[in-house]
Amino acid sequence: MLVMDGDCSTEPFAVVGCGRASVARGTTNPVPGSAHPVTAPSHHVAWHPLAGAALLERLRNTGRPRPRSDPDFAHILRDRLEDGLSLDAPAGGDRLPPHTGPPAAVPGSPSPRSLPLVVTKDRLTRVLACETHCLSPEFGERTPTVALACGAMIDVLFRQLVCQGSIGDPMADGLAALAVDEHQQDLVSWIERMPRGDLQELRAEVERQVGGLRRRWPALGPSWMPRTQESMRVGLAGGAVELSARVDLAIGKPAEDEASVALVEIKSGARRPDHRADLHFYALIEAVRNPAPPFAVATYYTRTGELDVDPVTEELLVGAARRTLAGACALLRGAGGPDPHRHPNALCWLCSSLPHGDPGPARVGARRLIAAPGRRAA
Amino acid sequence: MTRSAEWTQLLMAPATTTVDAGARHRVGRHLAAAVGELVHGLPPGDQVVVTLPIVRRAHLRPDLLPVPDEPFAWKPIFVRRSLGLAVVAACANGRMRTPAEAVGPVAAEAVAEWERTGWRTFHWEPWFAGLTPGAQAMVLADAASWATSLWCSFEWASLGPVAQVGGLNDQWICPAPRPVRLKARPEIQVPLTTARQPNQGREPDRLAVALVSLSGGIPGDGWEEELSYLALVAALRWSARPVPPRVMGLWPDAGRHHTVEIDEGALNRAADRVISTVSALVDVRVPGERESVTSVETA
Repeated sequence: MLVMDGDCSTEPFAVVGCGRASVARGTTNPVPGSAHPVTAPSHHVAWHPLAGAALLERLRNTGRPRPRSDPDFAHILRDRLEDGLSLDAPAGGDRLPPHTGPPAAVPGSPSPRSLPLVVTKDRLTRVLACETHCLSPEFGERTPTVALACGAMIDVLFRQLVCQGSIGDPMADGLAALAVDEHQQDLVSWIERMPRGDLQELRAEVERQVGGLRRRWPALGPSWMPRTQESMRVGLAGGAVELSARVDLAIGKPAEDEASVALVEIKSGARRPDHRADLHFYALIEAVRNPAPPFAVATYYTRTGELDVDPVTEELLVGAARRTLAGACALLRGAGGPDPHRHPNALCWLCSSLPHGDPGPARVGARRLIAAPGRRAA
Repeated sequence: MTRSAEWTQLLMAPATTTVDAGARHRVGRHLAAAVGELVHGLPPGDQVVVTLPIVRRAHLRPDLLPVPDEPFAWKPIFVRRSLGLAVVAACANGRMRTPAEAVGPVAAEAVAEWERTGWRTFHWEPWFAGLTPGAQAMVLADAASWATSLWCSFEWASLGPVAQVGGLNDQWICPAPRPVRLKARPEIQVPLTTARQPNQGREPDRLAVALVSLSGGIPGDGWEEELSYLALVAALRWSARPVPPRVMGLWPDAGRHHTVEIDEGALNRAADRVISTVSALVDVRVPGERESVTSVETA
């Protein structure tokens, strides 16, 4: 899922990203057209986003040996999750409330079986920031904003570029692609009702980001086995908990002796700290569901052309398992109904989940704003 | 050994079970009797259609069972399987190398054939042809990803040319006061050898075949009966052919697989799931019938 923060029309490269930061630190700074990253000699070197073969090489070559296929380690990860959840999850999920939306009422029909607690990257991030988010009736929902619309459009247009190799009119193609997705009907309807100015802003940003994609994103040969919007699931605690993710792009043949798959997430907005945690969550699910973990997880920022690549290691996976377990247990606590653990912080004043006067605003001494589109902290 | 090699070996291992004609007949008779009681209260002209997704939903989410007369509208998900299977077939027979390469040409060929002859091999051709490029791209991307999952699950060279990708649906119409159609559509059918009778020299129609079913999500607790349902429908539909001795289920989202060896017990358990599914479907349509449905189930 793509999320763009704040204003869409900011300058390209306005965000401090890994490219600039890396240069300042004198670490690797890949050069466009180069087959290998090179070390930046000084902090005066201009940063350029990677393109074409260099971008592909950066994805392929993480600088670390690829993880070996290790079923025992995958079992350890799963066991660690299962053990942690067994303390919180009721057996069989019988006491868990539905988390995938209320079932449609059919008169006279039997009750649905208990639904699993679905743990997604967004729910993890929000509940770990503050368990109060679980109380919001909008938990897990997304309110349409210009940024969200832009993200959704870039998402489908990226998919089109990967599969078809070209994009025509970005707005027309993007809207048509969203229109055939029943889950995007509300967003499409919202876009169609946008004020003219906002629509022009959206169009300009989508066209600008698509321009960057066309110039920089490499054509992936069929032998890379590209899969877009790949669904990944892991069932835990006897089906009571389900880790769920949908990754924008998975490339590489299924693993044999060593990891051979890379996962790429596309973001149309600015870099945020939780993006890296999202990638690690994906890596964990892939490591548990398949014989080998991915060898790399990456975020590609379409607004700037930045590419963050994380080589997958055992340490990364153990850390992801620990975070996922903490989040899943917090979600289970929230689902069970007792008073959530609150973690007031400086973002609380932006949060529409908190009732007026809750500890966050009080702590930061801020007046709670009326929730406005695109101003949601959680 | 790679996962695809392991799954291929599991699928193609010699069959270890057989179901004789008597057992097949008994299952069919039991099913017809129970289902006949259930649908008795439906209005004349009504019919019940049972498919694998409906069997699953009746078990897990009966509240989401379809009600009759829901308008049909094409969606990418309805095209994904049929186009994806054609894509895998094109790769399996060597016309194309990978699903990503095949999906565009296969869809274009289908549309061109429909435009030339008016014949709709897949039924979605006119809808697909009418889409704008952006929407077509989503349909193709969905099918390519689905096909890639299936393509990467097996070693196709080992499956050999006799493996059938897709093909016609199996359908059995249960003799009942209101028509009850059981439909099943395995993704792949692979002829097997048995321990006693190697398949050399036998007519293809007389060979026992293993079935493969590909599903999204995570296998639920009823996966065994659900996989057996495919064998049940094939057994009832094709009385002159051997009952499929094995059904393999793949859940690529979860990286999981399960295999069921089909014997009389497996067919009976699948039949019981069909009965409870029909019960739930009748319940949705005729809420007042709930009491009689329950009594039949427990009888």
